[in-house]
Amino acid sequence: MLKYLFRRLNLLIITAFILTIIAFMLQHWSSGSIDNRNYFLQYIDYMANIFQGRWGISSIDQRSLLNKGLTAFASTLELCFVACITSIIVAFPLGILAGLKRNGFIDYTIMTIALIGLAIPVFWLAIIMTMLPNAVGISLPVDGNISPVFEVPVISGFVLIDSLLAADQYQMRAFADRAAHLILPAVVLSFFLITEIIRLTRHAITMIMRSNYIKAAYAKGLATKQIVLRHVLKNALPPIIHQIRLQLSTIISFAMTIEIVFSSDGAGVWLLTSIQEGDYLALPAAVLIISGFILLSSILIDILLMIISPTKRKALYADQ
Amino acid sequence: MLINNEFNEDKIQSPLQYTWAIFKNKSAAIVSMWGVITLIFFALFAELIVTHEPSTQYAQNLLLPPYWLEGGSTDHILGTDDLGRDTLARLIQGLQLTLGGGILITFMISLIGSLIGATAVLTKGLKASILHHLLDALLTIPTLLTALILIVLFGPSYENCLLAVSLSLLPQFIRGIYIAIENELSKQYIIALQLDGATNTRLLRFGIFPNIIEPMVTLLNRIFTMAILEIATLGFLGFGTQLPDVELGSLIASSIDLIYLSPWLVFFPGIAIFLIIIIFNVFSEGLRHSVIEGEE
Repeated sequence: MLKYLFRRLNLLIITAFILTIIAFMLQHWSSGSIDNRNYFLQYIDYMANIFQGRWGISSIDQRSLLNKGLTAFASTLELCFVACITSIIVAFPLGILAGLKRNGFIDYTIMTIALIGLAIPVFWLAIIMTMLPNAVGISLPVDGNISPVFEVPVISGFVLIDSLLAADQYQMRAFADRAAHLILPAVVLSFFLITEIIRLTRHAITMIMRSNYIKAAYAKGLATKQIVLRHVLKNALPPIIHQIRLQLSTIISFAMTIEIVFSSDGAGVWLLTSIQEGDYLALPAAVLIISGFILLSSILIDILLMIISPTKRKALYADQ
Repeated sequence: MLINNEFNEDKIQSPLQYTWAIFKNKSAAIVSMWGVITLIFFALFAELIVTHEPSTQYAQNLLLPPYWLEGGSTDHILGTDDLGRDTLARLIQGLQLTLGGGILITFMISLIGSLIGATAVLTKGLKASILHHLLDALLTIPTLLTALILIVLFGPSYENCLLAVSLSLLPQFIRGIYIAIENELSKQYIIALQLDGATNTRLLRFGIFPNIIEPMVTLLNRIFTMAILEIATLGFLGFGTQLPDVELGSLIASSIDLIYLSPWLVFFPGIAIFLIIIIFNVFSEGLRHSVIEGEE
């Protein structure tokens, strides 16, 4: 147990070190400084600045890059969270059903839907979704984070929470407006996530239904429902979570693309405009913020997995 | 009846022939195989097939709809765009770069990834540790960010887009192949081979690789699908191919302003990407099932 935690801490430190070196090289290149001291001293300086929160200033609007990056990334994360929750609710039962009725009619139907979902490019679906309210005749906003009418102060960065906190000013209208802005992007992102989770769940369930302890449980005379609730779900969860953890970077990448199509002020739009305006200092900041988030959450997920399934405790590296 | 039972020859099929015998009994798999062949044929011989140059502008035929709609002409089967360029010719040119890039990336990743994955499994200690930590660091940077970094450093180009996509997919492949080899390595016939004194190369060639074909097919299919999606995404954002070359994603991006005027300019490239992925997925699924049945 302690050894496992020590290993993860080790992983955290080494990976964070590699990431800061990448960020330092980017910073060094993009600021074009003519500093003649050796690189080691410059790196120490850079790290000292990072830890004190002096990440540099954006050349577009003179705001602190740390502040700007965190606010933008919080909006992306909000989209990811909402999409994750909805897709887990939809996809998990479908995946279990497909895994239990393997090679039956239900299985083929669900897997066909999942294949179609995988094959649709995310950004293309997003463009189609921007046309949808007009075509169907419902009124849903298709651009931005929140209507410019509402001036919600930035407290946590998550607009959904901020608009709740500003309830004394706008009652629930700001919150409802933000939720309406979030519906279409979340639908697009959860489309991709649903297909992934269905595929992973089905695979995990099939693998477990073949194992000997399930046969033993059947021999004991347990009903299928009891077996699924008691034995299958508990053992199916770790591989699914582990695979999702490997795909965190893809999910965030797709979320950023969706935000660019829906032009909401997330990390994608922030990076895109920064690069178009020549504000290259945003890149090292983005590497530190986004990759740092993925790294930290990976390690948290690892520890969570270890608590769920004790067999993982002996694993040396993150992928075993 | 003259039946020669004395010298009845038992024909032992090679694993490849056996797998093919199972594969050709699956109708969906055969259809998708011909689909794959057609797509690759189109991509290779695009210049010979299309009747129009992708960059020629027909000034009198702007924004033609496809020929089955009112106002369309059979001269431009899928219509023309806002500069009068033939949509079909541009789609096939886009197919060339997207499909070619996807196949190239899958091929390179399978070579490099198998090499690194096998090395990682068979080595212990410091070397393996360094490898794992480097991969972990690579795994934490999203594709879009890698692509942006490469573009800022070297300028936007098709090659940098391919490089960024490969860099983000390589760790995922190595993870998969690592787990597959690791599972194989603990089996008894591998231990028997090791006791025979087999070198690592021999172990991999005769002991491990024939037995991980099934997870390998699944993995490669996954890598190919993600490669196509990510190339198209980068192209859509303008970080992929640069004009005058087009690619399916950048085709969508260039006609997004015309979506209310002529939506088919946006629909067709999307449907092309959709078809590529569906066909290759069905093909690899058929292949996987034949490999599994062949093993049993």
